[in-house]
Amino acid sequence: MADIIHPADNPKIRLLNVSYIYSKGTPFEMKALDTVSLDIHAGKLTGIIGHTGSGKSTMVQLFNGLTSPTLGKVLLDGEDIWAKPKEIGKIRFRVGLVMQYPEYQLFEETVASDIAFGPKNMGLSKEEIDERVAEAASFVGLSPELMDQSPFDLSGGQKRRVAIAGIMAMRPEVLVLDEPAAGLDPQGRRAIFSGIKAYNRLTGCTVIIVSHSMEDMAEFCDDVVVMAHSKVLMAGSRDEIFAHADKLESVGLDIPQITRLSLMLAKEGISFPESLYTVGYASDAFKALFGLEKGGNA
Amino acid sequence: MKGFAFGQYYPADSVMHRLDPRMKVIAAVLYIVAAFLCKNFFSFLLLLVTTLFLILISKIPVKIVLRSIRALIFIMAFTAIINIFWFVEKDAQPIFQWKFITIYTGGLFNALFILVRITCMVIGTGIFLTYTTSPIALTDAIERLLRPLAKIKVPVHEFAMMMTIALRFIPTIVEETDKIMSAQKARGADFTSGSLMSRAKALIPVIIPLFASAFRRAGELATAMECRCYHGGEGRTKLRILKYHARDVFFILLLLIFVGGIIAINIFGSRYGWVYTM
Amino acid sequence: MPLIDIKNLSYAYREENGEPIPVLKNIHLSVEEGEYVVILGHNGSGKSTLAKLMNMVVDDYEFAQGEIFVDGINVLSEEITDEDVLTLRKIVGMVFQNPDNQLVATIVEEDVAFGPENLGVPNPELRERVDRALATVGMSEYAHHEPHRLSGGQKQRVAIAGIIAMMPRVMIFDESTAMLDPIGRREVIDTLEMLNREKGITVLSITHYMDEAARADRVIVLDDGKILLDGTPAEVFAHGDTLRAAGLELPQCTALCYELMAAGLELEGPFNTPEQCAKALAKAWREKVVD
Repeated sequence: MADIIHPADNPKIRLLNVSYIYSKGTPFEMKALDTVSLDIHAGKLTGIIGHTGSGKSTMVQLFNGLTSPTLGKVLLDGEDIWAKPKEIGKIRFRVGLVMQYPEYQLFEETVASDIAFGPKNMGLSKEEIDERVAEAASFVGLSPELMDQSPFDLSGGQKRRVAIAGIMAMRPEVLVLDEPAAGLDPQGRRAIFSGIKAYNRLTGCTVIIVSHSMEDMAEFCDDVVVMAHSKVLMAGSRDEIFAHADKLESVGLDIPQITRLSLMLAKEGISFPESLYTVGYASDAFKALFGLEKGGNA
Repeated sequence: MKGFAFGQYYPADSVMHRLDPRMKVIAAVLYIVAAFLCKNFFSFLLLLVTTLFLILISKIPVKIVLRSIRALIFIMAFTAIINIFWFVEKDAQPIFQWKFITIYTGGLFNALFILVRITCMVIGTGIFLTYTTSPIALTDAIERLLRPLAKIKVPVHEFAMMMTIALRFIPTIVEETDKIMSAQKARGADFTSGSLMSRAKALIPVIIPLFASAFRRAGELATAMECRCYHGGEGRTKLRILKYHARDVFFILLLLIFVGGIIAINIFGSRYGWVYTM
Repeated sequence: MPLIDIKNLSYAYREENGEPIPVLKNIHLSVEEGEYVVILGHNGSGKSTLAKLMNMVVDDYEFAQGEIFVDGINVLSEEITDEDVLTLRKIVGMVFQNPDNQLVATIVEEDVAFGPENLGVPNPELRERVDRALATVGMSEYAHHEPHRLSGGQKQRVAIAGIIAMMPRVMIFDESTAMLDPIGRREVIDTLEMLNREKGITVLSITHYMDEAARADRVIVLDDGKILLDGTPAEVFAHGDTLRAAGLELPQCTALCYELMAAGLELEGPFNTPEQCAKALAKAWREKVVD
């Protein structure tokens, strides 16, 4: 049995000694994942961070069986997803994947029918589909009057939400999102991340987010997995990971500004009992330090 | 699709690679003419030997050269068979006769000649154009050779620009197709099973986003080009300087001698009644 | 005379049903040669349209009012000639958001040559310009590569080289870091700052990353087609509530310092970068310990 990083009693997804090699046997051969073993905890919001080329995007496509591992196993609820390769389609309904810039996959005439594409492929009844479409649209905050418009007429942020709703409507047990807020402005980012967090809390679904943005990760995730050089560098709860900010910096990842600030202050002899990674935590910690009233006007 | 390369360009360091692309376009045309001029056994032999020589000096592995023929095997076999069966030689004994099938020696030779002609033509032009010349150099060469036509309002520059942009965007769009297919697969789209009709229908969710994105790209590219002062071919200079070298002149002379040789063999052949002329 | 002088500019585009939709409203803005200006605003605030107007690459001028002077050329004048437009685009270079959709050629150095080729720059000057531009952005070793095999940050640097080779005096970056990962963003920001500091090129950078704004000489905040704030980063960051209302967010450390000040802590600015904030907080801490 491999050493599983961040083990869980009942992992939703477990990777066992997974390796993935691109273009095996050609001059372009490249190891994207190197004997990775990892647990994704059920019901949690897990963030995966790492540089482009660290293996995180490959990992995401392994979760729902878009690609199969060169070596090793991907287990969903303890069962090998590739046990019956012909039924891999069913796995894709159980593990929903929102790819990068998902707005470029919209194709239907109306927003509603685009969101319904996935559920339709599942062979559901019309009533069931309508219900799920409405539910998914409300999760991402799409107003009902948008539902009959063409997705091509929407703004960038709205298109993104339609694409995410299209996966949520399949009611997957695990929702995986690759850079869900890429290219959006701060307001758009916040709206997407809060929507995903609310979805996780309300449905109890396991959610996995891949992102470059440490600050968003620090604010929204329960668990964090850090990828570097085709391997898992660290995995654990948010507190555990950000307690090792120096290790994150050593592989060239951007740590949250607040964490950088606390590292700089530590050199000046000011240290805090816990690691700081969001403005909220930091402001409480500093107020305690300076003996200020908590919960002032923020 | 990561290792996708457009065309059959085979990077290597050979005389053929170094020749001026304009010269190679002319050479390819000459080669086709030469292949059609061949009339008898000896001229075809010369064509075959010259083609082998070209493969040799271009440093392209024979395996790769033969690959270009593989696609044509069906057509070649078909043409050869037609020639064998349809050929009627007057005042000659057929070498094989069964019911309505009659085969003459001349027919066999004719089929052989046609095979040699097609093979040499495909390999020869392939070596001149696709294997040793990158697509961009080729586009550039064609633009420069056709430039005189711009005087009679043929949009030579615009055509070359279109070719360049197409070459630039083919890998991008191939990658994008891959991505969109994955995205739709993640929504349960099935591209591999079902009837031909249902498979074609399954492609709609790929084709529509692909077109939408191609139009978006085209719009953004047009703006970017305008910003970089693009205003058609008028007054444009070029970074790539093409200059004929002594080797280009030498090579074209060799090629002319080769064509002359084929014509000479044809003339002597008909004067002295060499066998197996077409 | 300022290099860019915008007076009372308004702009609208026509909806499909014919109604004009206002994008920019009474903009007054002048930029001196050599400035490094960041323009902030959420998506749809009109910042991209403003940039495109300066280079005359919007589709429709029907509802354009006011004046835009770039080095004395009146962009919105009726009498502007084709030659003026070329001169304008030579002065103002633009780098766009999507790195894939602005590279034209299949080889890096030929793409860099595209602009100067259009200007009719002859060899050997053309060759020199291309080589120098690639060296400036640190992409010389990729001169013969195919653009589609480069990373996002590298593609953007090639796009920048393509503009530098035209020797512009102003460069506009229209959300050029939005699609990049942190490493690519760093590459592009370092390049644009170097162009401003070392080559004296005026830089207008449109973005919604606040940490990029923190490094500029001047920050302009656009909201709903109007200029909301215009000043140094410190001056602009002092208006946290206005920024939030405009759909923007302060950098984390800046937000923290202002929150602590609101709670009664005395801090000495500026608070643009984590370093400055650390300095201010450390100083406050030492003073408290001494007490």
